[in-house]
Amino acid sequence: MADPLILAQDLSRHYVVGGELVRALDGVSFAIGRGEFVAIVGQSGSGKSTLMNLIGCLDTPTAGSYRLNGADVQGLADDALADLRNREIGFVFQTFQLLPRASALANVELPLVYRGLPRRERRARAEGALAAVGLANRMHHKPNELSGGQRQRVAIARALVGEPSILLADEPTGNLDTSTGEEIIRLFDELNRRGHTIILVTHEPRLAARCPRAIRLSDGQVVGDGPGAEIAALGSARTARA
Amino acid sequence: MRALRQSLVRATAEAAEGVRIAVSALVGARLRSFLTTLGIVIGVMTVIAIVAIIQGLNRSFEGQMANLGAHTLYVSKWKWFTGSDDWWEMRNRKNMGTRELRAIEEEALVATAVAPMAGQRALVTRADREVENVQVIGTSPRYLDTNGGTIASGRFLSDPDVELSRNAVVLGADVAQRLFEGVPPDGTLGRRILVRGVPFTVVGTMSRRGRMLGMDMDVNVLVPYTTLLRDLGSRRSMTIAVATEPGKMEALEDELTGILRRVRRVPPEKKDDFSLNRQDQVLRMYEQLTGALYGVAIGVGLITLVVGGIGIMNIMLVSVTERTREIGVRRALGARRRTILFQFLVESSVVAALGGAVGTALGLGVAQLVALTTPLAAAVTPSAVLLGLGFSAAVGLLFGSWPAWRAARLDPVEALRYE
Repeated sequence: MADPLILAQDLSRHYVVGGELVRALDGVSFAIGRGEFVAIVGQSGSGKSTLMNLIGCLDTPTAGSYRLNGADVQGLADDALADLRNREIGFVFQTFQLLPRASALANVELPLVYRGLPRRERRARAEGALAAVGLANRMHHKPNELSGGQRQRVAIARALVGEPSILLADEPTGNLDTSTGEEIIRLFDELNRRGHTIILVTHEPRLAARCPRAIRLSDGQVVGDGPGAEIAALGSARTARA
Repeated sequence: MRALRQSLVRATAEAAEGVRIAVSALVGARLRSFLTTLGIVIGVMTVIAIVAIIQGLNRSFEGQMANLGAHTLYVSKWKWFTGSDDWWEMRNRKNMGTRELRAIEEEALVATAVAPMAGQRALVTRADREVENVQVIGTSPRYLDTNGGTIASGRFLSDPDVELSRNAVVLGADVAQRLFEGVPPDGTLGRRILVRGVPFTVVGTMSRRGRMLGMDMDVNVLVPYTTLLRDLGSRRSMTIAVATEPGKMEALEDELTGILRRVRRVPPEKKDDFSLNRQDQVLRMYEQLTGALYGVAIGVGLITLVVGGIGIMNIMLVSVTERTREIGVRRALGARRRTILFQFLVESSVVAALGGAVGTALGLGVAQLVALTTPLAAAVTPSAVLLGLGFSAAVGLLFGSWPAWRAARLDPVEALRYE
C-alpha cells in the first residue's frame, strides 16, 4: 500500500514557558489517508492547536516524525516549509482571516501569487474556486460587504484554489451562527465527496460526530481514534462523568 | 528556465502586491500617512529648492563667463581672490608699468594680443549731466582682443590715439546712456566730455555687456593708457592683459614669468614679485562658494531626511504590529520570509517616494516663487528631480528595513495567535 497522506509517528512538541517544560503534544501517532474527512477534537489545552500547527507545517515537532504526502517535514528549512504549505495545505481559520482591503477575488488569488503563477491563470483559477463555493456573484466584494458565511466561503475558496492535498480547518464554524455553520459543514461534506481530504479541528463533539472519523486528544495524547459518532460520544460521556 | 520564469513572475506579482498593499494602507490612513511623510516632504522640498536655485545661478554665471576673454592672463602685482595674509607682501611689490608692458609686447611670442589696463574711478560729466564713480580704464586698441566686448557706434581707440596720447574716449553703455539720454548713438561721436575735469572727445561707444559677479561692466570709459598716465596722473600699478590661443596658457605663463623676472630683476632665489591671474580663478572661487552652498543644502536635506526616515520607521513598526495576524495568514498561505520582507520594504519605499514626489513638486514651486520674486534665477534639471525621488526612496528602504526584518522574522504560529 502506498504511503498514507499523513503519517505521524510519536509526534511531540514541547515548549519551555517560564522555565517550565510544557508537553503540548506528547507522543502522538496516527495516519490519515487520501480522501478522508477527519475531525481532531479535544478541549482547549488538549494540544489540538499544536497538532494543527504541525500538520499545517507552521511548526516543526520537537521529537517524532511527520511525513506529509511522502515527504519528511522534519528538518526542512523555513522557505521549504513555506513552499510546502503553499502546495499541500489549504488553511481555513475560525476568524476567516481575509485581507480587509482586498476583494474576494484578490484574497483567493493570494496563495497563487506566492506560487508565482501568471496573473491570467491566477484570475481564472480564483474565479473557479469562488464559483465552486457558490460565490460567483460576489467576486469583487470586499470582506466587509459580505456576511459571515460568505466570508468563510471566500476563505474556503482561498484554501482550495491551490489544489492542496489537505484542507485544514480550525474551528471553521466557531464564529458563525448554527444554521450558517451547518451550511459550511455541508460544503465540507460536498468537497469531501469530490475527493478532498479534510481535517477539521474543533472542540465541539457535535461537529466531530458528523465526521466519518475523529481523533480525540487530551493532555497532548491521543485518547481515541475511530468513527466520529463513537469518539464524540466518548467525549460527552467523559464530560458527563466529570 | 522555467524556474527562472516562475520566480520572475512571482517577484513581479509580489512587487505589484506590495505596491497595492502600500497604496491601500496609505489611503486607509490618510492623516497618518500625511504626517509620516511630512518629514520627507520638507527635506526633499528644501534640497530641491536650493539645488534648483544653485543650478539657476550656475546657468546665468556660465552665460556671463562666456562674455569674458577666456584665454587671457592678467599680469598684475596683485593676486586675485587671495586671502588677506599676502596683502602686505603684494602691496610692497614694485608697481607694474609701461616697462613691463613694452617688454611683453616685444618679447612674448606666444601672445596673440597685449593690452594694458590702468584704472581709477572718476567723475565723468557733460554739461549739467554727470555720472559718478566711473571706472576709467587706460588701455590700447588690443583691449578688444584680450577682454572682449564690441563697439556699438563709432570706433575703438586707435594706435595713433595711444602714440600721440590723444584725449579720445570710448564710452561704456551705461555712461553713454546717462550722459547722452535721447541722443541717437551716432550723435555722441565727436562730443566733448570731462573726465575728472579733463576734456576728452568721444570716438565711440561700447555695446552693453551686463553684470559680471555683481560688477557692472557698463559703467566705464576707455581712454589711451598714455593719456591716462599723463593727464590723470595715475600712479597706480597697471594690469596687463595678455591673450593667447586655446591650449597655450601654460606656455604663455612660462614665457611671461621669464620676461617679468628679467625686467623686474628678481634674483633667482627669490619668489616671483608679480601674479599671473586667470579668469577661471573666478570660476574656481565661484565653484567653491556654490560647493559650500551645496554642502549646506545637502546637510540640511540629510538631517531632515533622517528625521523623516525615523518617522517612517516608527509608522512601519506600528504597521507591522497592527498587521501581525495578517503576516501570519500570509505565511500560512505560503509567503516566504523574504516575501514578507520585500512586501514591507516596498511599502516603506512607496510611502517615502510619494513623500519625495510631493516634496519635489513643492521644492520646484518654491524655486519658481523665488525666481519670480527675487533677482535669483532657478533652473529645474531632471537630475535634481531624480535625486529627490531616489533619495527619498532610499530613505524608505533604509529606515523600512528594520521593521520589515521584524515582520519577516515573526513566527507564523505566534503571528496567527496574536491578539
